[in-house]
Amino acid sequence: MKKRTYPNSRTRTGVDSFRSNRLAMLCLWGLVIFYGLAICADFISPYSYKDEDRNFSYCPPTTIEFGDHGKPVYPFVYGRTLTFDTMHRRVYVIDKTKKYLLRFLKNGRLFGVDVPGRLYLWGADARGRDLFSRIWYGARISLSIGLLGVAISFMLGLLIGGISGYFGGWVDGVLMRICEMFMMIPGFYLMLALRAAVPENFNSVQVYLSVVVILAFIGWASLARIIRGMTLSLRERDFVLAAKTMGVPDIVIIFKHILPQTISYSMATLMLTVSSYILAEAGLSVVGLGIQDPVPSWGNLLSEAMEIVPVIFAPWILLPGLFIFIAVMCFNVVGDALRDAFDPMFRNDAAG
Amino acid sequence: MDSLLSVKNLTVAVGLKAVVNDVSFDVFGAQIMAVAGGSGSGKTTIGLSILRLLPPALRIGQGSIIFEGKNLLDLSAEDMRLCRGARIGMVFQEPLSAFDPLFTIGQQLEEVLAAHTQLTKQDRQRKVLEILSDVELPDPLRAYASYPHQLSGGMRQRAMMAQAMVCDPSLIIADEPTSSLDVTLQVKMMELFVHLKKKKNISFVLIAHDLGMISQVADEIIILREGKMVEGGKVDQVMGCPQNEYTKQLIEAFQ
Repeated sequence: MKKRTYPNSRTRTGVDSFRSNRLAMLCLWGLVIFYGLAICADFISPYSYKDEDRNFSYCPPTTIEFGDHGKPVYPFVYGRTLTFDTMHRRVYVIDKTKKYLLRFLKNGRLFGVDVPGRLYLWGADARGRDLFSRIWYGARISLSIGLLGVAISFMLGLLIGGISGYFGGWVDGVLMRICEMFMMIPGFYLMLALRAAVPENFNSVQVYLSVVVILAFIGWASLARIIRGMTLSLRERDFVLAAKTMGVPDIVIIFKHILPQTISYSMATLMLTVSSYILAEAGLSVVGLGIQDPVPSWGNLLSEAMEIVPVIFAPWILLPGLFIFIAVMCFNVVGDALRDAFDPMFRNDAAG
Repeated sequence: MDSLLSVKNLTVAVGLKAVVNDVSFDVFGAQIMAVAGGSGSGKTTIGLSILRLLPPALRIGQGSIIFEGKNLLDLSAEDMRLCRGARIGMVFQEPLSAFDPLFTIGQQLEEVLAAHTQLTKQDRQRKVLEILSDVELPDPLRAYASYPHQLSGGMRQRAMMAQAMVCDPSLIIADEPTSSLDVTLQVKMMELFVHLKKKKNISFVLIAHDLGMISQVADEIIILREGKMVEGGKVDQVMGCPQNEYTKQLIEAFQ
């Protein structure tokens, strides 16, 4: 059959409107780059996340030298030796007698330096692990945990809200009381309580999954309540009655005719929730209940910056905080823009 | 001859007040039964009772609705769902709000087929295009790919008609199907009913307040007033020599 496209379909106008929002496109690209780098963490980072060298504890960022006495040469880094000053503080002295050449595409990694030299683009942590590498490995966890958590709590929220609003009666009563039970408990305490229920001897994958489930458990209730409210009004629409008269099964009506009507609201909320889950994971990890060292997440990387002394001498350990900030901001901007683009009531027609 | 649909002593009440009071009528194969009456006379309630889709506040107090030999009021919820759309179709007054604005006409017609048959995607598409041309839509392919708001009112009503008959039901309940159309389109719509009745052997329950229009096409008619049946019988008979005062008033109003 010949495919025809109609210029004013809802998806089309929504996408066009979103694309004309420059800030949102910038943030979307920012997120795409973040996720891309997180996926390629094995390749783009010079070291594995657990590759440590105690001789380089809190080593400051290394500069890559492109010239020797004014002459351009193959890029290299100088060696460093650890000494202590009169206050017994660590000082790394650049040792110009040792040069380690930059190597590309060695050992399956994009770049690195000859051993025993160490390349710390963004400095090192207490155990001499490369912060640059650990940030991208951490991005894998921090960025995926939000998405997974949101995926689960959205499935729960949409399903329960949809069923509750559509069927009404005692089904609605029971489901909404359960929702309210979850909403009564302050989020962070609920998180701590659920985390306490998780066995201590879990390996890192199990901890990761349990954090996902904990996050999902916190978010679904409020979404379910709002979706239920929207469903209550949507189920009175003629096309829902029409679908019923055609014998379309209830569950199909909920998924095809009711929930898609809530999409502009859900998409914006989804994006905003991803960012709040990234923050929640960071919160859990900062207090030591999230992802456990040596596996990095932005939250537990930042937990190393909880004490003031390391922050004064090695300010680069605050860097993961900047990444959390950027990611959360990008999700928020994209979420707002999506709502504006797909909600006809919100549409800004100034552009035409 | 056995009737296709036999409504006997149907009473529907909200609380203690009966909105449909002791109504009985029979619809035979390939017949158009008109249900006429003013606003609030319980016409739509009868239509929704047959499909068992009354709003929760309305309850069927007594009576039976025998359709193809089974009492619809005794069917399980799932059997009733399988009956809706497959055996009994419904056409609404306002087709723009009766279609989901997010899906094309084709998708929504195919959905009905998917709910009742095991047809493959290609077969469903073929069947839908066939039905769209049966209801005499000028460009079935375009209608298939259009969203509801992209069609004109008359085309939407035809698409609605196609949706009601896509599973080859034996009965279609049409609730004021022409009220949202202008007069020339109303006439064409009525012609379509008669044509489908003959060609597809479908019976209709035609709910309307417009006596003039339905008396042209209906075989039988019942007149309702405040939930009670005041008169019923062959159209020629009722329209020709009405016995009831209210019927006379209605007929005069349309002459």
